[in-house]
Amino acid sequence: MTELQAGRASETLGAPSIETRSFRSRYRDILIALVAFAVLAALPFFFGSKALLDFVIRCSAFGLFATSLNLLVGYTGMISFGHGMFFGLGAYGFGLLMQRTAVPIPVAFVATLAITAVFAAIIGAICVRLKEIYFAFVTLAFQMLIHSTILTWASLTGGDQGLRGGIPRPVFFGIDLANHVHLYITSCALLVLGLLLMRQIAQSPFGYTLRVIRDNARRASFIGIDVWRAKLTIFVLAALFASTGGMVMALFVSGAYPEFAYWTISGEGIFINMLGGVTTFLGPMVGTVLLLILNDTVTRYTEYHGIVLGAVILFFAIGLRKGLMDYVLEWYTQRRDGPGERG
Amino acid sequence: MKRTRQPGISRRATLALMGAGAVISAAPWVARAQAKTIKIGMPTILSGRVAQLGTSSRNAVLLEVEKVNAAGGLAGRQIEMVIRDSKGQPQEAARVARELVNTDGCEMLFDGEASSGSFAVHEVARDLGVLCIHTCSEASSLTADPKQHIPNAFRCVRQGIHDSIVGGSYAAAIAKAKGLKKWATCSPDYAYGRDTTGEFALYLKRFAPDVEIISESWPKLFQPDYTEVVTKILQAKPQALYTCLWGGDLTSYIDQANIYALFTQMEVFAVNMADYTALTVVKNLPKGIHSGNRYIKTFPKTPENAAWGDAYRAKYNEYPTNWSWQNATAVMLLTEAVKTANSTDGKKVAEALRGLTIKCPFGADGTVTMRAEDNTLVGYAIGWGTTIPQEPYVPEVKAGDWKTIFELEAEWKKSKGYT
Repeated sequence: MTELQAGRASETLGAPSIETRSFRSRYRDILIALVAFAVLAALPFFFGSKALLDFVIRCSAFGLFATSLNLLVGYTGMISFGHGMFFGLGAYGFGLLMQRTAVPIPVAFVATLAITAVFAAIIGAICVRLKEIYFAFVTLAFQMLIHSTILTWASLTGGDQGLRGGIPRPVFFGIDLANHVHLYITSCALLVLGLLLMRQIAQSPFGYTLRVIRDNARRASFIGIDVWRAKLTIFVLAALFASTGGMVMALFVSGAYPEFAYWTISGEGIFINMLGGVTTFLGPMVGTVLLLILNDTVTRYTEYHGIVLGAVILFFAIGLRKGLMDYVLEWYTQRRDGPGERG
Repeated sequence: MKRTRQPGISRRATLALMGAGAVISAAPWVARAQAKTIKIGMPTILSGRVAQLGTSSRNAVLLEVEKVNAAGGLAGRQIEMVIRDSKGQPQEAARVARELVNTDGCEMLFDGEASSGSFAVHEVARDLGVLCIHTCSEASSLTADPKQHIPNAFRCVRQGIHDSIVGGSYAAAIAKAKGLKKWATCSPDYAYGRDTTGEFALYLKRFAPDVEIISESWPKLFQPDYTEVVTKILQAKPQALYTCLWGGDLTSYIDQANIYALFTQMEVFAVNMADYTALTVVKNLPKGIHSGNRYIKTFPKTPENAAWGDAYRAKYNEYPTNWSWQNATAVMLLTEAVKTANSTDGKKVAEALRGLTIKCPFGADGTVTMRAEDNTLVGYAIGWGTTIPQEPYVPEVKAGDWKTIFELEAEWKKSKGYT
């Protein structure tokens, strides 16, 4: 059952309208976000493990990236194979600004988002008119174009060796990103804030417009929705969050590398979405945590991690036929509604 | 019962003092026994297209570590290698390197990464301050660029610029002798290919000024089909061809160019040919390809080098690669440095490594040096020769002259703004 259907169902039962519900759930979301941030921020005081902090920082980068991809895949039905280009753009934009100009970090952050928005608007304007497989392939083509540009424009990007020499991190507002704990807290803050904003987008009337487009684009345009504009808007917004993920990754590795803009990153995003599920908002975040745990533990023991990860994909794709969160949600609904609902 | 205070130290106090004394004097032994092994972490590429880089590096490291451990270890501590796959992804390389130090308790790092991954591990070494020896990345800027310099990172690898200087002077001598004026180049289209080819052409023209490059081809890395490149070169009718294709790319290129009898129509200079990974894979290895030495057990022609190559082959049932000798040398250098420092403390070992010269089977004169000014390996065996289709594959190798290399390298560094 999609959320729209769920919304409709609750309306017929005499539940409050979508507006009141989303108004209430908005405060609930903010509360959850605050609690999540408090828990994450408290971790370093209870666990001394630097690896745990590294893990959460990487979860932030990939979580932002994968959840933003779900705005396209799950909410709008646009399967982008080139979303990784914005991850790469974020990493390179931020890294280059910090290395080549003396701007403070927040300025570089905002400027990178602006650059990403411009790129996403141009690429999106061309791509979003296309449907399904054509959309997927043209986004992939743009991704490879950006990847090739990074490789060949060696004087600016360092070519295949990436941005070298480290990313300078001048202190701003008392935050020193060269300090591991500061970097950790900042990543957590960006993750929680990013997820909260994406949640707001998904639950807003615009978010429901996207679901209409996904379910039936023709009907959407008949009821007066400018489908092209809505698709372009979400394409650009999703790019901004992917770019933020790229910036967190650039800070983590203190550099930017062409692999960040390669199709494998987009592939990983799709994989995460498959793993976590696309029908719940937190599915991709759960997928991220799962994939990173799998990756980190499996590579510790064997170099044949490809086989293990492949088997896991098969299990989810053929066995469960859905992501983990989709499965959990279905199980939960069935339990709540009792056996009578099962069909 | 009334207790009377007796003068002097009581029996209980004596026993307690003795106990405490025993604990205190035993503590260092206990502690030492706990930290007896020293863990060295190594992120490298063990899966994917260049997995051989990682496996042959791992083999060489384990071969040498076994010897060191048999001889008592590093300052009495047995070495335990923790080697993990990075899949050739820089973010994974950084993650694995950090994990090795922070979670697995590795006290040193061997960085078995190529290209971008090595720069990612370099940043980890900068961040964590841990002793790091790069063992695979040939990118000159890793140590030549002062912006990259950190006191705790060293490079124990051959360098692109050294190869280009030696290759350029060797090729120029042949160009002059045989009157080869028209040259073509064919190299992979990424930073290594473009830089190495550019530098080779620079030094070729420096030693033989009337040489002209009439055709350039830049096939993609890992390109499967070279027909268009081969025909383009044949149409240009050059007298000589330079290529820095490597590994599987080089062997496919040779197999495909053989069909067009390219090797009978021009002199071919392939810097990465003389590596067993390429030599033994090519179906019909043409006679007379000029190549730089990557690793070949007959150069330097010493019993030590031959013995090392044979030992490796006996243990792993395959020939060592260029990456193998570099990783083996890293273990040898580290062992000597720990002996000199008489400690396994990273900072002290780094201090001992700087400027250290050791006896080594892969040295041009039987020794190699970790140059102090830029923490990089010099004095290793470097030369060029021509191939034959069977063992020893490259019977005669003309050694490069390190005096010339140093002079021209200094000039090159100046031109790049590194000094």
